[in-house]
Amino acid sequence: MRILKYISRLILLFSLVACQADREPQAIDLSQLSWDQVVEKGQSQKLSMMMWKGDPKINAYMQNYIKPHVKEKYNIELEIVSGQGNTLVQSLMNEIQADVDQSQIDLVWINGETFYQLRQIDALFGPWIDKAPHAKLIDFDNPFIGKDFQQDIEGYEMPWGNVQMTLIYNSDQVQDLPQTRSELLTFVKSHPGKFTFDHHFTGLTFMKSLLIDIAGQEELAGDFDADKYEKFSADLFAYLNKLKSYLWRKGEVFPEDVAQMHQLFAAGELWFTMSNNDAEVDNKISEGLFTKDARAYVPDFGSIQNSHYLGIPRKSAHQYSAMLVINEMISPAAQLHKMQPEVWGDGSVLSPEKLSETMQEKWKNTRMRTNAPPRSVIQKKALQELAPEYMIRLADDFQEKILQQ
Amino acid sequence: MRKANSLTKFLRLIYVLLIVVPTFAGFTYALLHSLGLTGLLTDGLTLKYWSEALRDFYMWKSIGFSFLIAVISVFLSFCIALFLVLKLTDDFQKKWFHRLLFLPLCFPATVMAFYVMQTFSKSGFLSRLSFQFGWIDHIESFPELTNDAYGIGIMLTSVLLVFPFFTLFLKNIFDAERLQDYGLIAQSLGAKPRHAFWKISLALLWQKSKSTVVLYIIFVMGSYEVPLLLGRQNPQMITPRIVDKAQRFNLHDIPQAYVMALIYLFLVLLLISLMSTRFVQFFKKKTHA
Repeated sequence: MRILKYISRLILLFSLVACQADREPQAIDLSQLSWDQVVEKGQSQKLSMMMWKGDPKINAYMQNYIKPHVKEKYNIELEIVSGQGNTLVQSLMNEIQADVDQSQIDLVWINGETFYQLRQIDALFGPWIDKAPHAKLIDFDNPFIGKDFQQDIEGYEMPWGNVQMTLIYNSDQVQDLPQTRSELLTFVKSHPGKFTFDHHFTGLTFMKSLLIDIAGQEELAGDFDADKYEKFSADLFAYLNKLKSYLWRKGEVFPEDVAQMHQLFAAGELWFTMSNNDAEVDNKISEGLFTKDARAYVPDFGSIQNSHYLGIPRKSAHQYSAMLVINEMISPAAQLHKMQPEVWGDGSVLSPEKLSETMQEKWKNTRMRTNAPPRSVIQKKALQELAPEYMIRLADDFQEKILQQ
Repeated sequence: MRKANSLTKFLRLIYVLLIVVPTFAGFTYALLHSLGLTGLLTDGLTLKYWSEALRDFYMWKSIGFSFLIAVISVFLSFCIALFLVLKLTDDFQKKWFHRLLFLPLCFPATVMAFYVMQTFSKSGFLSRLSFQFGWIDHIESFPELTNDAYGIGIMLTSVLLVFPFFTLFLKNIFDAERLQDYGLIAQSLGAKPRHAFWKISLALLWQKSKSTVVLYIIFVMGSYEVPLLLGRQNPQMITPRIVDKAQRFNLHDIPQAYVMALIYLFLVLLLISLMSTRFVQFFKKKTHA
């Protein structure tokens, strides 16, 4: 009985704490501020950024280039914590539900599906991107940059990099590259167990490319259309079911993520892996994970090209500092450095013609890719991302129609 | 005396604050979420998440699969521990044996799972060795021991992680209860070694360790990292299934993940309550000792 008394007292205490007055941070009116004022208010602060930390090259770029740069220029201490996708969404969601005073996260690295979720729960600060001086250099007219999963970014997220999905293969074993869906099926049938895709983000992006190939880009452009999804996904799953028994482990199991696929590819168990970053093959060769026989290509049926973005949580207490850091992350120098295959190999979101002549010259002299295909070649086969609901439905249906069969 | 009472009260308060309240709060939050009574995207009170989860065949399959994996893993661990304690009694006096026994305890679950993956997968160490020695024609011919349909990789890892605990636990009982002496007495009175094993050693060890066995079954059932790395998506153990549901792209799936977690919690509590008498005895004995 005494324990129950203790518990009831504690619950009462928690309820009282929860019933505090709303402590929402004061909304910032950016229209009244110049960039100089943003700089003044944002410098000399400590900032926490949440990002995917699964790639050593990206981590090194952030640690050795961005962090020292913002420290030197604005005396900003940038702390990087690990987290992405749903971890990030749930952290911000819990903070909003708990009505916390200020978020523990000040800057987030996101893509379209996370952007969609964060907008659903109104977790992002904005619109603000027009305020950042370097945003003027971004090629917002490019639909692969100005739109995120068919959504208008509406000033709530800043494009940071642009990539296209590629299939990575072992050129020692694969000479005739499958270019169409039917060629892929024939290839997989004649080389059982050597091809698969993961059942998370990259695999779903691959499936979206197949879906677009079946339906046509124009057909699926714009908002989600349930009828069209039903119609075309039926063909997609019929195709995947034909592939299934010839996939790695007879399609009874799929790699958890692309990192596991890379391991299987490196060990020779797979002849193909895939990546959302078209330059990743060069990265992995330089890291020693892949042999020099690894190459990347985009089949004729195309692959999805998309951008990744930076956002600021609505409850961040350091929104000015976050704007300063993001502005530096999209500076021509930072973008050029990031483009180098030995650094990261991430595509830039800047429009080269908007850069100074000196910078344009440097841009042209960027070290060329070796085993990754040139951007100019794969750009022709680039497909636009679909509305986020397509991915949600595909993930559910893949579970039901492929994994549980 | 008064000082001792105050200390006890203080420790009870700490226990309530650190253990009972967070657990109870988590349970309440999950329950409210599962009923649509909290959450940013909720539309109000609903039973649809419960109804969907209860009708989800694959959730029940996951729970059954987890239970099976846990029972087999704990049974095998118990057998190995029993063999070591009863048959290698003298080796426990040797330093090298202790070190060898403690070695698996140094591995965190994820590292052990990774080690099993590197050793037993189709392109792993054993597969390459078998290929080099000509025992298999192709590396791919190596049997599926990881990401397999029967959870062999998961069970192997769980056994490697659990059997040292059981060995130490059984060895303590073996020494404390002087089972070796009882066995010798029984044999001197005419019992065969087999009878001494079944009627004395095993019977006593089992009696004294039943509760621990159940707790370890619950522990293995709830494992996450090991099945994530070494399991497959179907059949899938329950914890990765719940996390998968909670962290998918659809935010509207989160309440259903809470329902699955609550159903699992309810079943574990049921298992514990079925064993409750045994647990009470277990703690009484510990207190009296």
